[in-house]
Amino acid sequence: MRAPNAAPLLAVDNLSVDFGEGSPKALSGVSFELRRDEVLGIVGETGAGKSVLARSLLDLLPEGGRIVEGDIRLDGASVLGLSETEQGKLRGARIALIGTNAKALLDPVATVGAQIARVLRAHRACGRREAWAAAVDLLAQVGIVNPERRAKAYPHELSGGMAQRVVIAMAMVANPDIVLADDATLGLDATIQVQVLDLLVKRCRELGAGVVLITHDLGIIAHYCDRVAIMKGGRIFELGEVGRFLEGPRDDYSRTLLDAARVRPTPMAGQGEGGGVTDEAHAKPLLDVRRLEKFFPIAGSTEVVRAIDDVSFSVGRGETLALVGESGSGKTTVGQCLVRLLECDGGGITFDGVDITDMPAKEFRPLRRRLQMVFQEPYVALNPRWPVRALIAEPLRLDPGLDAKGREHRVRQLLDLVHLPLSLAEAYPHELTAGEQKRIGIARALATGPDFVVFDEPTTALDIRVRAQIIDLVRDLQAEIGMSALFITHDLNSVRSLAHNVAVMRHGKIVEYGETEAIFAHPTQDYTRMLLSAELPIEQGLLQRDRAEARRLAGTA
Amino acid sequence: MTVAVRLAGFWGTVPRPLKIVVSRLFMLVPQLFGVMMVTFLLVRLLPGDPALLLLGNMATPDTIAAFRERLGLDLPIWDQFLRYVWNALHGDLGTSIFTSQPVVSDLLERAPATLELITYAMALTILIGVTLAIVSVVRPGGAVDIGSRIYGLAAGAIPDFWIGLLLIYFFFYMLGWAAAPFGRIDTFVTPPPAVTGFYTLDSLIAGNPQAFFSSVGRLVLPVLTLAIVNAGALMKMTKTVFADVYRSDFIRHARASGLPERTIRRIALRNCLPPIITLVGFMVGFLLGAAVLVETIFSWGGLGQYAVQAVVNSDYPALQGFVLVAATFILVVYTVVDILYELADPRIRV
Repeated sequence: MRAPNAAPLLAVDNLSVDFGEGSPKALSGVSFELRRDEVLGIVGETGAGKSVLARSLLDLLPEGGRIVEGDIRLDGASVLGLSETEQGKLRGARIALIGTNAKALLDPVATVGAQIARVLRAHRACGRREAWAAAVDLLAQVGIVNPERRAKAYPHELSGGMAQRVVIAMAMVANPDIVLADDATLGLDATIQVQVLDLLVKRCRELGAGVVLITHDLGIIAHYCDRVAIMKGGRIFELGEVGRFLEGPRDDYSRTLLDAARVRPTPMAGQGEGGGVTDEAHAKPLLDVRRLEKFFPIAGSTEVVRAIDDVSFSVGRGETLALVGESGSGKTTVGQCLVRLLECDGGGITFDGVDITDMPAKEFRPLRRRLQMVFQEPYVALNPRWPVRALIAEPLRLDPGLDAKGREHRVRQLLDLVHLPLSLAEAYPHELTAGEQKRIGIARALATGPDFVVFDEPTTALDIRVRAQIIDLVRDLQAEIGMSALFITHDLNSVRSLAHNVAVMRHGKIVEYGETEAIFAHPTQDYTRMLLSAELPIEQGLLQRDRAEARRLAGTA
Repeated sequence: MTVAVRLAGFWGTVPRPLKIVVSRLFMLVPQLFGVMMVTFLLVRLLPGDPALLLLGNMATPDTIAAFRERLGLDLPIWDQFLRYVWNALHGDLGTSIFTSQPVVSDLLERAPATLELITYAMALTILIGVTLAIVSVVRPGGAVDIGSRIYGLAAGAIPDFWIGLLLIYFFFYMLGWAAAPFGRIDTFVTPPPAVTGFYTLDSLIAGNPQAFFSSVGRLVLPVLTLAIVNAGALMKMTKTVFADVYRSDFIRHARASGLPERTIRRIALRNCLPPIITLVGFMVGFLLGAAVLVETIFSWGGLGQYAVQAVVNSDYPALQGFVLVAATFILVVYTVVDILYELADPRIRV
């Protein structure tokens, strides 16, 4: 079965990494090979050691990390023990890394064109102007419209998807042999994710480069990878062809992952059963939004961005409305207007019969107890110097009827409510996992016993299983305390199991609004249909299957 | 309305750097007006009659009345203010009681002395502070890192005049390496004709090497004194900011892209510029008055000394002149800082 080109491009042999003597191993005995023109997927949940693996390949382990065992060979030659200068020649030139959250990966005070040119000049002797021209050319190739002008833009002027393309261009500029994509599309809209991955894989195929796609999304694996490795606790549990893996994983853990990913959210229980919603409550909605408008001025011109453009909806008691749309559709702005973090420019908001649109801040303050928000990025929204106990107790001080003992008791109740162990009360935000941070954010919002909660992207950037847990949690809370909620998300599929109604937003307008099941069954708008189909299903695409077949015949796999 | 729209449209097409400079310079006009008002009110707010203060105890009611008329103190306050502004704009800030010279010529003689001292001291401060900060972040635990920590502690604790005296004691008195701490230039060397007011530059312009070396020699110790004191604070702040940037995601990504370490350090430093610019601007403004102890020790004859003299001798015209010049200078420095800050960070909306 050994074809002439079967010599692996990259061979990782029994690699083990730890962080200092006696610490548990971050990687233990990891072995795999990567050939030219091959896409290897590595799947695992947070903490599985995927990123440590990517960084050890570049010899850029986080502080304290060291390779204790094993070898990494590039074209048969070991790269361990190379000097810093030799490593520098490898990085970017032969092995390129594309990381998560592209906006944080770009130098904020340099134009993106200059940043791409900078990488090229580090690897190939060429003039300033030549490098700039190459950068502009590459920007066009990664699908950026108007590349000459965009090359002169600073990172903060780009959207997340565009920044990700720039990072891909940076990785491609020196024509590397191996591209490591470490959760490269995390946090992007599903539609943009597909575009970015298509582009990445296509470019690598053109160059004949080997790709390591690190992700926690099995849909990505099914659609783009030739082979897949399942990682957990620093080990590779299963390594094999994607087609065979999808048909029947050999390992128990792989099967759990695959099952969790395959589970379609169960539809909302029939409306009749949710008997709490009486006709009377329907008649008088808890929250009513009429023709809401919000404009942002564009710097240096008299025009405005219509972030919210004539949006109306209402939420009854015990009801959940999902506001769905891609980034930039204005859904978060709506949420912030509701809790008065932003002042709206037109229309009105009525909460429990009271018009809160222009209520003075002083009068609105007591109402805040009843109207809460769970923020999108829990880590950013939590004070890093406070332990969990203080974080949850903070909003409780709004309630004058609680003394220190009562607060203590309530903190324990709330921890219990969001299914967190009491032992976490003394932990600090950085010691928590992303899922735990989300739960703390939810506990904080629920502390004052609100009637209405805005959840801003509560499931974004979470592992598959954690995402399911958070959705379950929100559902339990609905049943237990009967609160009303606005659920803001870009993932239409995730709201099926918890929202009564869905509003689909695009460019600041609601394009489709109705009962959840009706929308899932018969979407009337193309845009809604596109959103519904954007999530990659866990079935191998036809093209991918053909390719695997061809490779098998050629004997390279 | 249409004019406003068209103006707004035109302003939108102006390149960003020009926009920053123009809008900041525009702000200077009302700010300068405010400074003039404050200096004018300064004398008015002092307890007692300015005429009485200026004439002293020996004045008779007749001379006071005559003096009031001469100074225009009998006019309404707005007239007085307009006269003050008019005179100030024409280079007349009154006559110093103590030196009996026009305040303007006094200031013109002393301001360059202080500015020369501050300029070189700041240049050295930036060089020492930023270099130490970068080296100690890039090589943590190294000799420079440990040394800079001790220095950072000491620099905050030791007063500038003490360092000045120590330097004079060791390098002038004991070793005899440094020039005498008596003024800006050797008594036997004629100062170069004034062009910029900086002896070092003027002597170069005049082609007078003797004056150049003499003035440089005299600068060494006071500049060193100020730099040693101030570089500590700049180093500590730069270290914090630089360490943060140096650990950030985009620096890690730059390293993963294979950029050489030298380039990476430059990128990181470029990202640290805004806070450095702010602190340096603050220090320059601060030193204008704070250098007075060092000026006194080295008999420098600068602005700070002049101001102290004016206060001690109740020389109000001189004090008023000093405050006006100092405030204007600080205003200009802060404007430059603002402009540089906005140029250094493209994320700031103009």
